[in-house]
Amino acid sequence: MPAKVAWLRGLFPALVTPFVLKTEEIDEDAYRRLIRHVLPHVNGLVTSGTTGEFPYLTRQEQQRLVKIAVEEAGGKPVIAGCGASSTQEALALAYDAAAAGASAALIVAPFFLRPSDKGFYQHFYEIATSVDLPIILYNIPQMVDTYLPRPVVEDLADLPNVIGLKDSSGDLSYTMELLEYVGDRIDILVGHDEVALPALAGGVSGLILASGQVYPEIWQAIIRLVHEGRLEEARVLQRSIQKLSRIFCRHGGGVAVKAALKMMGLDMGPPRRPLKAVGGALLHETQAEIRLELEKLGKIAPADVPFACPSAPLAERFLELGITPEAIAAGGLRVGSGTAGEGLDRVQIDLIAGGKGTLLGEVYALQLTYPLRGREALTTILEPALTVRPATLLLPTVPQRNLRQANMIYGPTQSAVARAIVDALEIGRIPVSAVDSEVIIALATVHPQALDRHALYRSAYAAAAQALTQAFAAAT
Amino acid sequence: MGYKVEWFKGIFPALVTPFTRSGAVDEQAYRQLIRFVLPHVNGVVSCGTTGEFSSLTLDERKRVTEICLDEVAGRVPVVVGTGCKSTRETLILTRWARDAGADAALVVAPYFLKPTFNEVYDHFRAVDEIGLPLVLYNIPQCAGTHFRWWTAEGMALDFDHVIGIKDSSGDLPFMEALFEKVRGHVAIFVGHDEIVQAALAAGADGAILASANLIPDIWQQVYQATLRGELAIAQEWQQKVQKLVRIVVNCSSTQAVKEGLRMMGLEVGDSRHPIMPGDGFRREDYEELRVQLEMLGKIGKAPLVYEVGGRRIATEVFATPQTPRVVSDLTLRVGEGFAGPPFHELAHVDLLLGLKDGPVGRAIEKALAGWGEERGLRLISEHPRTLLVPTVTVRTPRQRVLLYEHAAAGINMAIQASIADGFLPEALLDQIALIVNAFVHPAASIARRITLNNYKATLQAIRKAIEGRPTLEELFNEKVSARHPFRYAP
Repeated sequence: MPAKVAWLRGLFPALVTPFVLKTEEIDEDAYRRLIRHVLPHVNGLVTSGTTGEFPYLTRQEQQRLVKIAVEEAGGKPVIAGCGASSTQEALALAYDAAAAGASAALIVAPFFLRPSDKGFYQHFYEIATSVDLPIILYNIPQMVDTYLPRPVVEDLADLPNVIGLKDSSGDLSYTMELLEYVGDRIDILVGHDEVALPALAGGVSGLILASGQVYPEIWQAIIRLVHEGRLEEARVLQRSIQKLSRIFCRHGGGVAVKAALKMMGLDMGPPRRPLKAVGGALLHETQAEIRLELEKLGKIAPADVPFACPSAPLAERFLELGITPEAIAAGGLRVGSGTAGEGLDRVQIDLIAGGKGTLLGEVYALQLTYPLRGREALTTILEPALTVRPATLLLPTVPQRNLRQANMIYGPTQSAVARAIVDALEIGRIPVSAVDSEVIIALATVHPQALDRHALYRSAYAAAAQALTQAFAAAT
Repeated sequence: MGYKVEWFKGIFPALVTPFTRSGAVDEQAYRQLIRFVLPHVNGVVSCGTTGEFSSLTLDERKRVTEICLDEVAGRVPVVVGTGCKSTRETLILTRWARDAGADAALVVAPYFLKPTFNEVYDHFRAVDEIGLPLVLYNIPQCAGTHFRWWTAEGMALDFDHVIGIKDSSGDLPFMEALFEKVRGHVAIFVGHDEIVQAALAAGADGAILASANLIPDIWQQVYQATLRGELAIAQEWQQKVQKLVRIVVNCSSTQAVKEGLRMMGLEVGDSRHPIMPGDGFRREDYEELRVQLEMLGKIGKAPLVYEVGGRRIATEVFATPQTPRVVSDLTLRVGEGFAGPPFHELAHVDLLLGLKDGPVGRAIEKALAGWGEERGLRLISEHPRTLLVPTVTVRTPRQRVLLYEHAAAGINMAIQASIADGFLPEALLDQIALIVNAFVHPAASIARRITLNNYKATLQAIRKAIEGRPTLEELFNEKVSARHPFRYAP
């Protein structure tokens, strides 16, 4: 008869595997540092899982990781990832893991050449009956492209050595089906960070998570709150980490976890190729988003950025562009300003409009030859290939330190200004004659730590509408 | 047992259903379209998927088919799309089509509520009993239900009135299974424009195609060449139209076909909502479809005059209804172009076109004399004088190469193409200058795509600057639904 083991409860981080830059060798010191960092908050460790880039590790390397983890774990259980596409190799890995002192082997459903039901059963059966080590089955259809069939799991759960199943699908209907059929015989662990709370509430025994090494104490708090029935408090915590969990699950995996750890001062090096540290699955934009979320969680200190809206008289706010109050008067240029929103969502739009043949036309052209570092002027669009008219440049007044800040300007702010211009055109606030004969430059001031794109859009729209009303008041 | 009819072979366009600006069926435009395709086709299909049957009321479907039957007047067979979600409605419409004089009914697998194979079988059995020759229609991309060969085989051989199967799946192994099971018993038509030549060569009897609204003559040549056994000729034609039909198949085919027809001078309106311009059929697809139709000789040239400082410079350009006849103000014109995928290699070009002695020319000289070196500005053409400006700061050596070599090459290709196609006439080149802001993503890698995407984006930007696009109507129609890519959290 299968027996549940008492220790398979709580949080097990799926550790990343640190590599040395260039040589791609395993960085053992970094691995030890990582384990010491997480150990106080976890119930055990998982080596060479999906987050640990197991497909890129040799058999010797995987065993070495298990040995280090056992040395460092201070008696806490170590679950060794023993995933392979062939049964023979998975068996070898499981023998190695047992010899190195692992408490269990985590064995992924065979991938690439995917078997059918019989092949799945045979794979796990051979390992479970050959190696003297408890086995945890591992369902991750995002990588394997197939679910472990539930009827197969039903039969595997009867094998004495099979103690659990890690479900990373994120598919709660599948998780609930497993709990229904085998929950009395083996422990089900959830491996998808985004649905950890609902899975815990549904009855899973524990968590094997990529983010378990980034915010383990939050996961422990969630586990405790669920056990105490304090679901409302648990929901608040899960929501605080929802975006990061989504990024780790869907937008970069172990690469994103390494990026987060590095920001927190734990440099785990690059991933092995062909994965890229950034620019592959983890976009630069997402990397910037990780930093922001870690700031929100208090994992890293936010950089203090001075910020002030331009407050000089309106006609003097375009001096930097080479447009003096005298030139505004002489060229018959229109100016307008608007401000909306509070705190981080505050937006100020100062805009200037006028004929293409005036000084403004030349300034417009000049701005497109002068990429100010962090303050690039961009043509205002409703969406790509849908430029607003009159042609409008949007220019941030505060330098953008990173892609996320740039996205706040060139995303929500720009699309709000674009919409305000088209709306003003449609109601006749901007005369149709201006469409071909004039250009607009809009200066946008947005707080560098703005977070809420939706609020920002609303502020920017209101500010732009005010500015347009003021600038074009005389035109109608 | 189904049977083969002599007339069901060759090229059948799946006619679009034209709408007026107020959204009513546009009878005159429909008749005009039928007259346009008729010389080149073996038959026509009314109210198919491309005919937006799912956006028409039953009464409208009847009316559209009546017009079609009247205009065709027996010169070629008319196959009528009569498929509906429910068996009940399908029966009503198919009986009507039988009595109205249709040659056959094209009946799509019931959709949305996905029936099982045996329910699909019984649906078609009920339709078959009406007695009108029946074409079974498999289009899993829309219906969500794939026949599978065993269902198709059973229906083709068990029923009395099946004359053919139209397969739009694009799934060649499935078609081969159909040939294996039912070829010789019923006709097999391909409905996926990207594999027409392959399917005909493999034994298909004909093709029912969205793109046959645009290029019925070319498809007829592919068909005839295949019949003659001249596969090389058929392959060459398929390859020539491959890009065009890929756009049609993958990008809201009905809107793509309608905008293509509009470019060719046949105004058939837009698709009914939720299909709309600039959505599935993206703006960059519009530009690419236009270029493809130009290359195939389907869009004619028209005169265009530039009025520059009292001089008139005459040229000829491939003209759509949006192309002006006269461009009188070249002080400063703005154009934007966008081309992708892939994501990292997409090109986004902001372009200024203006007089050398105007704001654009002066800005170029001032920039070069001042901060040209420091900001990485590069003159990449003298004729016309063209300044390349990096939109974002270049950070890596690789990004530098991709921008100054590969993106710049694409931009220059576009300038040369615009000189060749008349938008930038020789006589104008000494008087204008261009500022091109180009963007290379720091994670970009595929050099070839960067060149091609920048070529496409710049070509679009030049044309849009000259033609004054987007139009106000486009802005007003799409301001509510526009999707700005950076507005939302990644």
